Amino acid sequence: MRIGVFFCQLEEPKKFNIDSVAKYSANLPEVDTVEILGVKPRLVSEELSVRIKKGNLDRIIIAGDTPGYFKPVFTKAMVLAGHNPKEVYLASFNEHGATGEMALERAKAIVACATRAVPFSLAAIPAKNPVNHTTLIIGGGIAGIQAALEIANAGKQVYLVEKTGTIGGHMAMFDKTFPTLDCSACILTPKMVSVGQHEMIRLMTYSQVTDVSGNPGAYHVKILQRARRVDIKSCVACSICSDVCPVSVESEFDANISKRKAIYIPFPQAVPNAFLVDEKNCTYILSEGKKCGVCVKKCPKECINLQESNQVLEIEVGNIILATGYDVLDVRKIQQYGYGIYPNVITALEFERLTNASGTTGGKIVTKSKQINKKTKEEEWFFSVDGTPPKSVAIIHCVGSRNKKYNAYCSRVCCMYSLKFAHLVKEKIPNVICYEFYIDMRAFGKGYEEFSDRIKQEGTFVVRGRSASVSMNNGQMVVKGEDIIQDKVVEFNADLVILAVGLTPAAGSQDLSRILDISRDSDGWFSELDYNGNPTDTEKGGIYVAGMCQSPKDIPDTVAQGSAVAAGVLRSITSGKGIGHLSSISLSEIESRAKSIITL
Amino acid sequence: MAIRVNPKLIEDLSRFGAEDVHMCYHCGDCSAVCIHSDEMFRFPRKSTRLLQMGLERKLETSLEPWLCYYCGQCSEQCPREAAPGETMMSIRRWLIARYDLTGIAGLFFRSKVAEILAIIIVALLTGIFFLYYGFTFGNIKIYDGPNAFLESSFIHKFDLILGSVLGIFLLINALRMWYLIMVKGNIIPTPWWLYIKQIYLLPWHFFSQKRYAKCESTNSNNVHMPWLVHLGLMIGYVLMLILVMVFLPALQQGPEIQWSVHIFGYLASIGLIGGSVYFIYSRRKKQQIQYQKSHSTDWVFIILLGIIIITGVTQHILHRSGLFEAANIVYVVHLMSVVPWLFRMPFSKWAHLIYRPLAMYFAAIWAEAFELQNYPQNVIPITQT
Repeated sequence: MRIGVFFCQLEEPKKFNIDSVAKYSANLPEVDTVEILGVKPRLVSEELSVRIKKGNLDRIIIAGDTPGYFKPVFTKAMVLAGHNPKEVYLASFNEHGATGEMALERAKAIVACATRAVPFSLAAIPAKNPVNHTTLIIGGGIAGIQAALEIANAGKQVYLVEKTGTIGGHMAMFDKTFPTLDCSACILTPKMVSVGQHEMIRLMTYSQVTDVSGNPGAYHVKILQRARRVDIKSCVACSICSDVCPVSVESEFDANISKRKAIYIPFPQAVPNAFLVDEKNCTYILSEGKKCGVCVKKCPKECINLQESNQVLEIEVGNIILATGYDVLDVRKIQQYGYGIYPNVITALEFERLTNASGTTGGKIVTKSKQINKKTKEEEWFFSVDGTPPKSVAIIHCVGSRNKKYNAYCSRVCCMYSLKFAHLVKEKIPNVICYEFYIDMRAFGKGYEEFSDRIKQEGTFVVRGRSASVSMNNGQMVVKGEDIIQDKVVEFNADLVILAVGLTPAAGSQDLSRILDISRDSDGWFSELDYNGNPTDTEKGGIYVAGMCQSPKDIPDTVAQGSAVAAGVLRSITSGKGIGHLSSISLSEIESRAKSIITL
Repeated sequence: MAIRVNPKLIEDLSRFGAEDVHMCYHCGDCSAVCIHSDEMFRFPRKSTRLLQMGLERKLETSLEPWLCYYCGQCSEQCPREAAPGETMMSIRRWLIARYDLTGIAGLFFRSKVAEILAIIIVALLTGIFFLYYGFTFGNIKIYDGPNAFLESSFIHKFDLILGSVLGIFLLINALRMWYLIMVKGNIIPTPWWLYIKQIYLLPWHFFSQKRYAKCESTNSNNVHMPWLVHLGLMIGYVLMLILVMVFLPALQQGPEIQWSVHIFGYLASIGLIGGSVYFIYSRRKKQQIQYQKSHSTDWVFIILLGIIIITGVTQHILHRSGLFEAANIVYVVHLMSVVPWLFRMPFSKWAHLIYRPLAMYFAAIWAEAFELQNYPQNVIPITQT
């Protein structure tokens, strides 16, 4: 067999030199021709077919960061040359992780596997090692909860570490799920309660992983358990403490649209169902015990201990699951929509809390009301139950997503939740005019396209063309955009503007990637081992990713991945053999494995 | 009628400067943010679309590119960094080449080498011609008067001939523009009296450039007031052109300075120098989005203009300080840069001085014709989809 290796790049690789990979591939057995075609080459099948004929090549390897892009040209060239068009194989550097420290070695291995027509993931299997039966899950959102329940129900010990005071994550904040319009809390809270009560799950809220050492199968983890200052076991969440607390700050759980006290419970169904003290705002803690302390005196169960200090826990685990989720892009950066300037421009998460029956207005959709702050004498805008409902609502898609200046990627969920918003607005306010501004409608899942059609039938104006700006004209917000399908400029008054803001990796993921030595992609999401074949494994043995922290995904996908990751963990526990780091396997080992695997 | 598609249109346009057209995913941000984009004419997205689809015929009969003044708002907000402003600029260059029947404009825009070569050839021919004329009929030691090296009445005649030739070129191009936009690109009948009714728009837009001023009002970035600078530059040009075409003999008289004419000459020079310095400064600094990309023709234009200004001012100073021999030589150099520069005029961006007002004129005629026909104008609010 005569093999031709062609290097086609979409951009120059940063971590290694293409020339050295080319030299290596020239020495591989049966490789006849090696050509570097450069960055974004303009390929013509006819020309390539001449080269293929000249070299009498039976097999073509396209090596590059996204070689699939060039495959059709080569396939056609093979046909034109009269050779077997199926003998075109890809050596994808990006897909198989030739980006980290060992990028050069990895790139060579990928090409070596491709010349043998062996899938890289089949050849590159690291050594097995014994596994500790306990599992650590970082992040208590729906992905973490799902994975924890799957593993715990299989009878294995789970530590679930959550940064905030309650598990539930973002899903607990939502009102409805798309496309079924089920109540989000009704799906989530039973799962949360199961986690809280499960004998095999040790829940550690208000905690963070600070250090990880050890080897695959036997990781040594340090967990910082921050002082909650309320005893979880004895607190009955009677809320007497928060009634007397004099401090009032913005509630994170309510996306900062309502107030909470310095001693608070994020939401009534929180797990663990206990209050906690916000040390950054508590008067007693800030004054070092000189002022306040009212809550301690009033607590009937005497479960508040304001002097409690942080604790460090050390545990041994076999597998670690990352399920750290996401944050919402800071939309103040995008000035054209006037967020932070006009009071009634709100983000999607704020709207979720506004429309949620447990939210500050009890689920009533209103515009903000004005009041004068007594202390600072400044105008304040807030959502009040007595506020006036908006007459017209504009929902703007792709705010900060698919935008080279902010997030180049699609955040995947915005189209669908925006459509859901339109439905909720239409449902709750009679005769409201509702506009959706979109670029492309990405209704990609089961029942999503039908949902999209349903929203259109409900009378929402779905405008193709993202609006460009929100401006203020005599106290009235004006949204301007281009309606591309109807071919006109649209300018109309809106009382409420909802921005479908893009998603970014969670704030702590950078620290975690450092602690765990896990690589992240250029957008900051954790890198999986193989996007198609191994979406929950990482390069590090025994460390897995699940949910949003790997890439944006909706609730069904997140839950599915939560279960999938549990399968990986349980596989290693039940077989007693965990998978080591991918870096532990050398180039020569991969070469010899590739040789031994026979492909058809 | 079948619609013709030119799949290589984008490739061709890239030589006119439009590099990022393929990036556009049609979100409509640019059209919505543009202050000039209205019910009748929406751009830059639509023009970008025509370009992406290779609809050459539609693009060459479109008016939109001339209604854009490149304030840069669209490029600034573009989520794909597709530079819609630059695309519009490139389409204008391409249109100039389209309006020009000789094909010279297209050659100049596409090939920097051809342009520079043509300029050098014309400059050398001019130099040889004037040196030959001067040494045969004049005296190098005399600058003004009857026996001058380059007698002003002769130069004046030369100017008038050159001016008429260029004027004819421009007129033919303008007619071609009219044909493409108003005849080929028209979809509704346009009564002839509308042309007369709206004729006042031509001088109005030529001298006021009011539309450009509108750009300035919206863009917070335009601290330098490009409209004012452009107006200054334009008035400088027009004044200088009138002076050279009509009052050249008075300008070259000596030894006294004839202030009634010269005062305008000085004013025009200030306008030209100010405009050019701003032009070079902005294109070097690249702070404003509209000056970040420069086509080779932009630089050829400004370099030639710089030589013209420097030699023009120098020969004037030399003449007035009595160094006639040096003044004559600089004068020849001056002519060597002026002639190719003027000759380039109908085939370069410079030609926009007639295309712009014409476009505004045509746009107004169209708008009124639409109104007369009760053609379905786009109305707000939009209908249900």
